[in-house]
Amino acid sequence: MKKFTSLLVALVLISGLIGCTKKNKDTGRTLNLSIPQEVKGMDPIYANDRYSSNEVGRVYEGLLEYHYLKRPYTLVPNLADAMPVVSEDGLTYTFKIRKGVMFHDDASFPNGKGRELVAEDFVYSIKRLADPKLQGLGWWLLDGKVKGLNEWRKKYSELPKVDYTEVVEGLKTLDKYTLQFKLNKPFPQFLYSLAMPFTFAVAKEVVAKYGQEFLNHPVGTGPFILPVFQQTKKITYVKSPNFRKKLYPTEASEEFKTAGFLEDAGKQLPLVDKVVVNVIIESQPRWLNFLKGKIDFIGIPKDNFDSAVTPSRTLSEEYISKGISLLVNPSLDITYTAFNHDLKLFQNVDLRRAMALAYDVVKSNELFYNNTALPAQSVVPPGIAGNIKNYVSSFRGPNVDEAKKLLAKAGYPEGKGLPIITYDCPSGTVSRQIGEYVKKQMAQIGVRIKVINNPWPELQKKITKRQVMLYGIAWGADYPDAENFLQLLYGPNKSPGANGSGYNNPEFNKLFKTSSIMQDSPERTALYEKMNRIAADQAPWIYGVHRQNFTLRHSFLKNYMSTDFETGQAQYLNIDSKLKVKVLEKL
Amino acid sequence: MAHTSVQSVDEISLEKIPSRKSKSLWDQAMENIFRDKMAMTSLIIVGIYALISILSALGVIAADWAVEVGPSYAPPSGEFLFGTDIFGRSVFTKMIKGTEVAMSVGLVAACISVVIGVTLGSIAGYFGGKVDEFIVWFYTCFQSIPTIMLLVALSFVMGRGLVSMYVALGLTSWVNLCRLIRGEVMRHKDREYVQAATALGGGHARKLIKHIFPNVSHLVIISFSLMFQTAIKTEVILSYLGLGVQGRPSWGTMIDDAKLELARGVWWQLGAATLAMMIVVLSINLLGDALRDALDPKLKGK
Repeated sequence: MKKFTSLLVALVLISGLIGCTKKNKDTGRTLNLSIPQEVKGMDPIYANDRYSSNEVGRVYEGLLEYHYLKRPYTLVPNLADAMPVVSEDGLTYTFKIRKGVMFHDDASFPNGKGRELVAEDFVYSIKRLADPKLQGLGWWLLDGKVKGLNEWRKKYSELPKVDYTEVVEGLKTLDKYTLQFKLNKPFPQFLYSLAMPFTFAVAKEVVAKYGQEFLNHPVGTGPFILPVFQQTKKITYVKSPNFRKKLYPTEASEEFKTAGFLEDAGKQLPLVDKVVVNVIIESQPRWLNFLKGKIDFIGIPKDNFDSAVTPSRTLSEEYISKGISLLVNPSLDITYTAFNHDLKLFQNVDLRRAMALAYDVVKSNELFYNNTALPAQSVVPPGIAGNIKNYVSSFRGPNVDEAKKLLAKAGYPEGKGLPIITYDCPSGTVSRQIGEYVKKQMAQIGVRIKVINNPWPELQKKITKRQVMLYGIAWGADYPDAENFLQLLYGPNKSPGANGSGYNNPEFNKLFKTSSIMQDSPERTALYEKMNRIAADQAPWIYGVHRQNFTLRHSFLKNYMSTDFETGQAQYLNIDSKLKVKVLEKL
Repeated sequence: MAHTSVQSVDEISLEKIPSRKSKSLWDQAMENIFRDKMAMTSLIIVGIYALISILSALGVIAADWAVEVGPSYAPPSGEFLFGTDIFGRSVFTKMIKGTEVAMSVGLVAACISVVIGVTLGSIAGYFGGKVDEFIVWFYTCFQSIPTIMLLVALSFVMGRGLVSMYVALGLTSWVNLCRLIRGEVMRHKDREYVQAATALGGGHARKLIKHIFPNVSHLVIISFSLMFQTAIKTEVILSYLGLGVQGRPSWGTMIDDAKLELARGVWWQLGAATLAMMIVVLSINLLGDALRDALDPKLKGK
């Protein structure tokens, strides 16, 4: 009997879905996205990878967001009414919350009607991130920053139950719509953390009702609704009917103005009725789906690069005729080969410089990135303050003769006296090839390398335990501030912190300490540039490249650009449904 | 007194051996194999592979595999027999260097597993009882672990490289031979010739090694050839998965490279590695079949 019922339910569900797809074809304004990984769940405090945090960002919102059409990246209020009032000493941030913002309708609210968002919801959500029992994955973001929050976390880690009503000094509401943060010390990057999904607002009624299942029942204030999250190959969001008045921006940076990004200016968001996210893990099916118009945009898989893009970096004719266009934009990241500075061997600056000079970054760009990346001169990528335009490091290879001279100066002429140096990298074909390439490059000056492949978790463990000599890795920005990159070389930040190489230069540390409590200003940028030069001159790493994204998009997708901070992007995208019908006929 | 009498009996038995009339199993087998053209061809091919790997191990050939000889991904031509790889290295030289890895892994791993399999199998079969129960229990448990998991675990414990590859493959492939030997030894241990040896005062070791082992050794030869080619294939799979030899060419890593290159139309690395592997595995298989035909007494006269 039971089986029969469940079958019936399944039948109803299927027909329901068919109904939906039909209806969707009528309006045609459906966004079709693809992601290459499964989504972990819809709880903001666990959204520590790109894919989960993007999904969380469709349903939930935070106090701040990045202006969609401004570059360099600029923070603007989202659920906050305005940018916060910051006290003189830079320690107190006071936010006014936007009035009249409603949570999505859900059974956990009285009468099933979503209630209004209040300042207390943020206090609750951020305490949840700090909750020692929940072990939120974004705790590092606020660890040691907010006054009293660490003490609160520590206290309840030993008690059986966590009391959210206990007031934390640095995280208080002054009235229904006013929220105040007090920090332990100035932390100018604090505002960026309020634009990350970890700190997005959840309602405590919903958490209370669903408990463990909260992960699968997202109820936020955002532009889209997902009634239940299921681990399937397709996640379908619908437009929230009671989304507040939020308009498409009317201002834009020049580059977007000229590219026609203001056509929808002033329109109510979100622009599409539905968002369908397809989970397609393998790159070839994803590519074929894109070519058939079933996905609106795609990052070009490495293996299809040569067929899609001509040597002069334009799209091949075949795709242009289908109305597909190519977008190229640098991503805020850096690849590098780090030395373990705990070893006496690598405290020898001439050895480090010699190895940096022996490495041919131009050729590696050609071999591994289809010549699309930008060779890195130092640690800060282009696009954020602190990067020095047209700067060329004097220790940027290939210059084998100079490298040999420096190696002799370091005390190892022709590599004599050097031990075999191990190079650890993740397993995987491309990583292994990169390792072989490093080995080959170093062999030119007589430095012998042994390549060791490790699974990703093991490599991280080895780095934390200092069991490496050289290792190859990359870093992507958490927020658009050079601090996020420079901290990788800050001495006190060494393992288990983000400075895996253990580089420790008193001069650099001093500059970093000074700049880390400064607000954005020309003086701070000057300090950043100074540190960036030290990082180039001292060669604490062998720098690799700053990668670029190559994205293809269909003509019917409007307002799309590839960005480093994709959270919430779906609300700004639009589909030209008439054009889509025409294009689909041609594909 | 007793001592002398045993010796004298021994002398008698020694005198009897030269007087045998029929050809031994081995002579007959050799004759059969030399008559079989396919088996001879296979033997020659395996010999060539062995020669290549010895020369390569000595550094006579393919020592310059890491040298850049041309542009990246040059297709096969007169100049580059099998084309070049991503770094412009000759695929042909890499294939030769890969032969050394494959053949040495096959040989050493098969030797290790023969030693373990024969020792444990004959002890279990000969002594029976508690010893037998224990060994059977041990290899049954051992075999219930999926081979690939065991290989991965071993390569984690011992680090990666050629030596751990030898050991890992040797340790995972002895169970079948052990079973066979145990069964055969059980059949033989109560035969008249063994009883005769017992009557003459032969010790366990003497009976086992001198009398029983020669009668089951054909199984070892056959299993050896099968394990040899299995080890080669497994090495390729492990290297493909990134768990095999490091820092030197192997057929497996060549195929792993090709996985990405195929989308660019670069097929020659895959081609060279699979061709080299196919020829040697096929030859060893044919040779193993011929050996079994020749050595298995049950198939005699067919």
